[in-house]
Amino acid sequence: MIENKKAHKFGMVIDLDKCTGCGACMVSCMSENNVPFKEDESNKKDSITWMRVYKLTNGKSFPETEIAYLPRPCQHCGGIGDHGHSPCVSVCPATATDYGYDTGIVSQIYTRCFGCRYCMGACPYHARYFNWWDPKWPEGMENYLSPNVSPRMRGVVEKCSFCYHRYQLARERAMVEGREIEEMEYQTACTTACPAGAIVFGDLNNPAHKVHQIVKPDPHPDPMNHKVVGKSRNPNVFRLLERLGTNPKVYYMSEREWVRKAGDNYLKGEWENVKTHHGASSSHG
Amino acid sequence: MDDALIPEGAKRCAFPIFLIGIIIVGAVLLWGVYAMFLCWIKGLNQTNMNDYYGFALWIWADLAVIAVGGGAFFTGLLKYIFKVDELKNIINFAVIIGFICYSSALLILAIDIGQPLRGWFIFWHANVHSMLTEVAFCLSCYFAVLTIEFIPNILENRQVNKVPFFHHLAHNMHGVMAVFAATGAFLSFFHQGSLGGVAGVMFGRPFAFREGLLIWPWTFFLFTWSAAAFGPCFTLLVTKITEIITGKKLVGDKTVNLLAKISGWMITTYIIAKIIDTIYWAYVTAPSMGFKLSHFYSDNGFYGYWILITEVILCGVVPGLLLIIKSTRENPTTRTIAIILGVIGVCLNRWVMVLQIMAVPVMSFDSWALYIPSWQEVATTILPVAYGIILIAFAYRYLPVFPQELELNESADAAAQNG
Amino acid sequence: MKIDRRSFLGLGLGAAAGIALSPVGVKLTDDSSIWTQNWPWTPVPEDGKITYDRSVCSLCPGACGISVRKINGRPVKIEGLVDHPINNGGVCPHGISGLQYLYDPARIKTPLKRNGNKFEKISWDEAISLVAQKLGEIRKNGAPESLGLITGGGSGSMAHLFDRFMGAFGSPNTYTMPSLESNLALTAAALHSADQSLGFDLDHSDFILSFGAGIIEGWGSPVACIQANASRRERKAKLVQVDYRLSNTANAADKIIAVNPGTEADLALGLCAVLLAKKQISTNTRYGDVNKFPFAAMLGKEYTPEKVAAITGVKAADIEALAMAFIEAKAPVAVPGKGRGDTGSLREFTAVQALNALAGRLNKKGGVFVMWPAGYLSFPENVMDAVAEQGAGKAKLAGSVNELADKLEKDGGLSALFIYNANPCYALNAPEKIKAAMDKVGFKVSFSSFMDETALRSDVILPASIFLERLEDVVSGAGLAKTVVGLCRPMVKPVFDTKHPGDALILLAQAMGAGMAQSFAWESYAACLEDVTEKIWDNLSGDGYVVIDDKPPVGTPATDFTFLVSAPKAALSNGEGEYTLVPVDKMRLASGSMTSSPFAVKTVPDTVLSGKYSVVEINPATAGVLKDGDIAFLKTAMGTAKVKIGFNEGILPGVIGMPRGLGHAFNNPYVAGKGVNVNDLIGPVIEPGSGLDAAFGIKASLSKA
Ligand SMILES: Nc1nc2c(c(=O)[nH]1)N[C@H]1C(S)=C(S)[C@@H](COP(=O)(O)OP(=O)(O)OC[C@H]3O[C@@H](n4cnc5c(=O)[nH]c(N)nc54)[C@H](O)[C@@H]3O)O[C@H]1N2
Ligand SMILES: Nc1nc2c(c(=O)[nH]1)N[C@H]1C(S)=C(S)[C@@H](COP(=O)(O)OP(=O)(O)OC[C@H]3O[C@@H](n4cnc5c(=O)[nH]c(N)nc54)[C@H](O)[C@@H]3O)O[C@H]1N2
Ligand code: SF4
Ligand code: SF4
Ligand code: SF4
Ligand code: SF4
Ligand code: SF4
Ligand SMILES: [Mo]
Repeated sequence: MIENKKAHKFGMVIDLDKCTGCGACMVSCMSENNVPFKEDESNKKDSITWMRVYKLTNGKSFPETEIAYLPRPCQHCGGIGDHGHSPCVSVCPATATDYGYDTGIVSQIYTRCFGCRYCMGACPYHARYFNWWDPKWPEGMENYLSPNVSPRMRGVVEKCSFCYHRYQLARERAMVEGREIEEMEYQTACTTACPAGAIVFGDLNNPAHKVHQIVKPDPHPDPMNHKVVGKSRNPNVFRLLERLGTNPKVYYMSEREWVRKAGDNYLKGEWENVKTHHGASSSHG
Repeated sequence: MDDALIPEGAKRCAFPIFLIGIIIVGAVLLWGVYAMFLCWIKGLNQTNMNDYYGFALWIWADLAVIAVGGGAFFTGLLKYIFKVDELKNIINFAVIIGFICYSSALLILAIDIGQPLRGWFIFWHANVHSMLTEVAFCLSCYFAVLTIEFIPNILENRQVNKVPFFHHLAHNMHGVMAVFAATGAFLSFFHQGSLGGVAGVMFGRPFAFREGLLIWPWTFFLFTWSAAAFGPCFTLLVTKITEIITGKKLVGDKTVNLLAKISGWMITTYIIAKIIDTIYWAYVTAPSMGFKLSHFYSDNGFYGYWILITEVILCGVVPGLLLIIKSTRENPTTRTIAIILGVIGVCLNRWVMVLQIMAVPVMSFDSWALYIPSWQEVATTILPVAYGIILIAFAYRYLPVFPQELELNESADAAAQNG
Repeated sequence: MKIDRRSFLGLGLGAAAGIALSPVGVKLTDDSSIWTQNWPWTPVPEDGKITYDRSVCSLCPGACGISVRKINGRPVKIEGLVDHPINNGGVCPHGISGLQYLYDPARIKTPLKRNGNKFEKISWDEAISLVAQKLGEIRKNGAPESLGLITGGGSGSMAHLFDRFMGAFGSPNTYTMPSLESNLALTAAALHSADQSLGFDLDHSDFILSFGAGIIEGWGSPVACIQANASRRERKAKLVQVDYRLSNTANAADKIIAVNPGTEADLALGLCAVLLAKKQISTNTRYGDVNKFPFAAMLGKEYTPEKVAAITGVKAADIEALAMAFIEAKAPVAVPGKGRGDTGSLREFTAVQALNALAGRLNKKGGVFVMWPAGYLSFPENVMDAVAEQGAGKAKLAGSVNELADKLEKDGGLSALFIYNANPCYALNAPEKIKAAMDKVGFKVSFSSFMDETALRSDVILPASIFLERLEDVVSGAGLAKTVVGLCRPMVKPVFDTKHPGDALILLAQAMGAGMAQSFAWESYAACLEDVTEKIWDNLSGDGYVVIDDKPPVGTPATDFTFLVSAPKAALSNGEGEYTLVPVDKMRLASGSMTSSPFAVKTVPDTVLSGKYSVVEINPATAGVLKDGDIAFLKTAMGTAKVKIGFNEGILPGVIGMPRGLGHAFNNPYVAGKGVNVNDLIGPVIEPGSGLDAAFGIKASLSKA
């Protein structure tokens, strides 16, 4: 991991007990980032939604049934050991998606991507979307497009950028004023939209930020799995598919055990052993 | 009509018959070309690929033709480096098949990418960490090598060879062919391997991910090995088909049996490695990420254990054994069965390592994704087959591809109609 | 020079090598990739200066404050307004999509006049004089009461302006689409006094007992309610949901009380009965309550826990425990209104409110506020001319929109109809019946912005500018316990040749002359607004909103239980079939007047909409031979629809849940032509005494297609 004190590590924690599944984050993202839409978007396998809200159920019958909504932006993976070799970044042959060591953000360069889709295969979160069609807006509707995010052309891959343009705007402002950017100055469009306040965004490296305080990331590799760095020391906080060593910067939080368990895959009996293990709190607390 | 172009002494079917054959296959080719232009002009929405299936039928076809095209580098390696001279009787054909396979692979890639006009970014903005970069570099270089290996054979055409410059060029190229064969083998080792690496490095996909040696996952070595093992099977299979169509014996049994034997041993050793790899993956690698083997083979309408058993036992162990046992190897029926199983086996392996990877759910709340290719995908996948048939037809008709042809068909020629 | 084969080949090879080595190839390759990066058909948004402008969203009764980001004055993004008293920064998917409504393919771009089966473009002048002439004839014939108005309700200046128009015209025939607000107003009128409404102080309650209210699914002021729910954990406030389906609200609740559909009122009365029996209400008894003793007698006789258990399916012990948990909480509140609160019977609403009354929760922090109208508007006296006086005394044709539709269909009665902010031909049950009723009206004038189901049936359309193009006061209501007036401001000049409906109304009144012109003597709606909001205008225009009141009203209002004593029992659903079909609201799908935006439709999961099929929820246990994903015919007494089966463990066995807000039929391929309108399958069941459509569902059968 990069031990640069100046480096940010932007991330979020989403409270799944607060999320109502309303979809405001999805729409805010689409509107913020000029995401196009087609006449039929009901095939979710070709529907571009940088933020997608999954519906999870505990599989029990009524009235024991429970559901949870899980919003899934790009996880901005740090890759094994959090060295910046995200599953997608490490495979892109044309360096069209890259890891920002100063922010922890995984970028996507639309004009360089040549559409081989290897990155999509490598991403276990299905966070990447291909432009199978030319983006088209009904007559006049291009008028609402934002100049801060360029519309993509057919044949390239796109994904959540943690609203990088918002970071750029905040950074420019801070630079002009000769100071660091503040927590509330850079917030993603999904975070600000959420009516439930379920998403908390900020710098995981900054102990003053709320996201850091909730997640309490363990800077040391997990003694049980050295691929994993940054495990949360909050027992209700987890990451998706943490065991793979993708090291996401999106954390989830729930008081419900079945929800936390659904975040990863476990062999029979494993969960009982690991559910209490949360980033060695005693040694690094 | 085209007698002057036909190799000296060789008998070929009448030109109109040849033409009719070419027209029929040509129609299929045009169908493929039409689909190809649809994809280029309208975009990949012409396919049934989707965000779960970013890699689909084409990438399988790509990997499969490269695997079976492996006969060229492996036969070349044996002939020029290990001096297995007997293989001179099949090396031309092996090279032509390789040429077809690799040119097809490049064409498929050019259709498959969303921005074909930016395809060269893979070289210009190369990411050294990506297996696909390695593939692109080695694949293009090796294709150049194959072209060079193919050229002398073309120059041996009766008319071309009359030009002294080409005559000498062909002769001199034959002389230095060992250098190219060595280069080819080296490049092939890497791109076959990196194609295997494409899957093996995807640590987000537990069905694909493998541990390995340094930067190379085990699939890297398994792919090279399987291409070397099964490539010759494909060379032999195509030879057999050509013999059936032309009604002539084109390669002597000795050569065939020798190549079959080498292939048999390669398959057998490969499949042992593959079994070890599978067991290690099933019992160590995947469980360490929370997956039981059964996760990959249940809860869906297509992928069951049958595919694993077919690939490894029926199309791996069986052909391997059939080809190393002398009696079954030298029996034309069992030998043919073995090479057919072998070709199916390697294609199935590539299928699994492309499509099944995409199908398996990784997040606990995700579900299996199955996909059926569109006609445009099927047509563009058949396109290289039609192109290959046409190229082989022309090569066979006008080039001295098979050195043993005349000698093997002396007696038959008098009586039989030509093919 | 003789070109032999050798030199020809040599030349060819040389030329090939030459081209390959020249920069031509490199240049072409490079140019072609640059071309792909600048395809002229991929838009390049114009850059410029970023500014933010504040306004109010009026797509639903939520009245959220919004901030509109603009580039060189061009709106590009809608966000929630931070520190706004209603939504404090949050927004819902529909509000964020506001800009898509601006450029909606179904927008009406100019005034239109029907000509046979087609619409013909006309100018505003023509349109106004056409309508003025038709209306003038009606007045001349001395039947001003035959002008009807159907509106979406609301209580701001626009609602007043329409009322004023009807008053000055001389017609009492104004009808409001059913909504949570209208239901709460009826409840207040039945139990407390007319002209009041109810506000639920969810933010301060520590025990919310919701009778099916979709508190996080669009009930009330949607964002405010979601925020109230989100803060529950910190506040240690409980939510108990009475429902027959695992709605998102039920899922978020601490406890679910599974209840038979349509028996919520009985449960509420059962709880009242427990409180009474356990003498839990004695200290809360209020002098001034009306008819309390007959009510108590009825509870004691008919609503014993055992009897209620038999009706509702909730165990008697659970009913008692629930009642005790409710009364023992510090600040409990019972919330009526299934789903978005726009359906349901008055008996149900009043029964729940009776529980609040008996538990002493009226006008208490964390309870329910019985509120007076905001009262910030001061309109000048309406000028009533002779014709107006003549019509003003006449009785209304019907008590509710649904009754009106019945009446019109049977014997007509209106010669002209205004439709403002309403899409009854889609939003009411049995829309075909509504359409037939509308066809009985000779002249229909729509003020719609979109060519929706109702606009398609009108004779003249005076297209309204949408909220982003207009100035208006927007009053919160929707069950909120505070009253906030927000100022909706034009964020952009009207994109098409539309007008503010207030301006259209003023022009129309002036064109009609006589008393009407005097009643509408403003030069524009903007002038009118400033005039009638004079009391608060400075603050409203300065801050963008004014908080009229956010404290519990003083004193405890009297409760009149008369209605409950005589209220008829729950309406039975009509028809035959082994299932009960109920509409299900989804936060991501707008229903009622509001059509979802392309963005909102895009977020709808494939378990709700699959291709052109609505997906219906059904418990696998009662699915019979049907399998998940099957296409099936869903048949009710009202009609048949082809739907897709979606297994859902979270719905009571025997119940079919069908999403509301689909099946629009007009020209917007992104949002219409998808799925079925559930209202097509459900017949209205009019509740005697209130005129409300109390249908909570309908019997249905399923067969494989
Ligand atoms: N997304 C979105 N938000 C909106 C609107 C919109 O169109 N879309 N419209 C706005 C408007 S106009 C209004 S009036 C409000 C309305 O807001 P609500 O009244 O809260 O809305 P509904 O969505 O109708 O609630 C439906 C839910 O009620 C429950 N339900 C239905 N029938 C029954 C029953 O018989 N018994 C019980 N116990 N529960 C039942 C089901 O669980 C279902 O999920 O929403 C506003 N907000
Ligand atoms: N079965 C069943 N029946 C229902 C409901 C249900 O869920 N199920 N919902 C009920 C509820 S909650 C409601 S609120 C009603 C809704 O009743 P509706 O009839 O659906 O609502 P309206 O709000 O009257 O219609 C909205 C009209 O306003 C227009 N409009 C939109 N924006 C603007 C604007 O800015 N300016 C102007 N002038 N016009 C605009 C649109 O063109 C649209 O035609 O339906 C009720 N009926
Ligand atoms: S906006 Fe918030 S509550 Fe709504 S789905 Fe997204 S995270 Fe959940
Ligand atoms: S979530 Fe997927 S796209 Fe995002 S960084 Fe991780 S692997 Fe890459
Ligand atoms: S699709 Fe684009 S971003 Fe993805 S790997 Fe290929 S070139 Fe890189
Ligand atoms: S962070 Fe920005 S880009 Fe990513 S999902 Fe949220 S809104 Fe979309
Ligand atoms: S809740 Fe209603 S008022 Fe608020 S943003 Fe959504 S549609 Fe607009
Ligand atoms: Mo409503």
